[in-house]
Amino acid sequence: MLSLLSCFLSLLSFLVHSCIRPWTQAKISLKDEKEIDEGTSYVAGEEETPKGLLREQMPRHVAVIMDGNRRWAERAGLLTSQGHEAGAERLIEFAELCFKLGIETVSAFAFSTENWGRHKIEVNCLMSLFQRYLKSKIHFFQSEEIRVSVIGNLEKIPESLLGTIKETEEATKRYKKKHLILAIDYSGRFDILHACKSIVKKSQQGLIREEDVDQTLFERELLTKCTEFPSPDLLIRTSGEQRISNFLLWQLAYTELFFSPVLWPDFDKDRVIEALVSYQSRERRFGCRI
Amino acid sequence: MDFNDPMLALSSSIGQIGDFGLDLVWRFIHIVVTLCLIVSGIFELVESYAISLGLIQKYSSIDIEKLKCLAVVVDIEAARDVSKVIELLRWLTTIGVKQVGVFDSQGLLKKSKDMILEMVPRSVLLQETGENNISPDSIALEFISSFDNKEAVVKAANILLQKYLKSIHPENGEGENVFTESHLNEALRVVGECVHVPDLLLVYGPVRSHLGFPAWRLRYTEIVHMGSLKYMRYGSLLKAIHKFTGVRQNYGV
Repeated sequence: MLSLLSCFLSLLSFLVHSCIRPWTQAKISLKDEKEIDEGTSYVAGEEETPKGLLREQMPRHVAVIMDGNRRWAERAGLLTSQGHEAGAERLIEFAELCFKLGIETVSAFAFSTENWGRHKIEVNCLMSLFQRYLKSKIHFFQSEEIRVSVIGNLEKIPESLLGTIKETEEATKRYKKKHLILAIDYSGRFDILHACKSIVKKSQQGLIREEDVDQTLFERELLTKCTEFPSPDLLIRTSGEQRISNFLLWQLAYTELFFSPVLWPDFDKDRVIEALVSYQSRERRFGCRI
Repeated sequence: MDFNDPMLALSSSIGQIGDFGLDLVWRFIHIVVTLCLIVSGIFELVESYAISLGLIQKYSSIDIEKLKCLAVVVDIEAARDVSKVIELLRWLTTIGVKQVGVFDSQGLLKKSKDMILEMVPRSVLLQETGENNISPDSIALEFISSFDNKEAVVKAANILLQKYLKSIHPENGEGENVFTESHLNEALRVVGECVHVPDLLLVYGPVRSHLGFPAWRLRYTEIVHMGSLKYMRYGSLLKAIHKFTGVRQNYGV
């Protein structure tokens, strides 16, 4: 109870500090009607860096496990499908905010291999949701210059969704600065095994020798090879669960883990900033002594 | 023109009073937040000692059977103070945990394993004893480092590669059957790695990261950040384990 109260108060103080103080620092001159000096720099197309965050210490790659859609729907008296819809909307807002803050890569765990075990209706609803959202957001991704990649097994997903995925990847492949990676039918263990198979195939083709197989080569065969920064700097998991649930097992070795009790559809801008503030306040040593 | 000067002075004064007032509000909120955090910290400290003394009923009996394998990640700085690690392991023995994997990225604890095994009562090395031969009153310890993470998987991948190439008709894709999770588990065992999946991972250090703990084993492991090893408390340890026993996992379903 006390920790919740302190979190609320720290958030309130942050809001007061960031919203009201710039206003109090503005000087209005009635004589010559100068514009208000905001006291913060603003570049068109970028989000003002919130107080308490340093732009130069932003993570390059943020991963998110979007947990809590079903519980959110239950609490709101809605259907599970509506919970997933709200979750999808939240993901778009989350990615947009991250990109505006200077984060280059955002990975989201949309559907795990284990999720196939859910009720068939829910699974079909999710597949249809992915297709609808990807199709409807292609123009948005193009206008915002966001590259979209989908990683995962992809063998079991419907043909129509596969087609939409290819269309979206093709339409956005030339964009370099912002990268949204969606993990659909993804499993961290599958990723590692897939890398093993890929190495074998290359070995058969004579492209690599046995002695060439090391960590660097192995990493290049993982499904995250589509990005320059395969290892996330920060992983956010919502809804209070404190585990990584088979997501990016290899890649998460030195990732900062942030577990939030908030359900995913409620994970708004303030929560994102809270996670980033927590990340920037940590002393990361990557296993070495500094 | 003259009328504007008093107006300007008035608005300037109002602005300054407003500034001062808001500054006061900001500092007041700051004090309140700081006090709340202090109170929260004291509360946690008192709770921790109350748990240690057995004053809180619900922590007196923990269903330890649910915790088959526990792993502890220790920051490299903390790993240099082996006495703290030994104390932690003694606490875990008292609680009744049967199998503990201790990890530090540089393998410092691996180098001190003989001393640790000697100082922790009824402790045995997991690799020597085997999972099924642990006696009821002893604790099996495993010492892990970053070398057991990615390097081990790469070596295991090489073993699978050799196995695939040796299979009778690799060109027909029949050898693809060597690439399953159980095959990689087996290959990891051949390399000398343990594949026991910890149920709970306790991270002691300044960073909320598992610092390179073997990735293959972390699929559904609960991860709890415990803070600095230097300031570890028995009550906090008991609380973390108790909380784990109440967790319900859906495993994605």
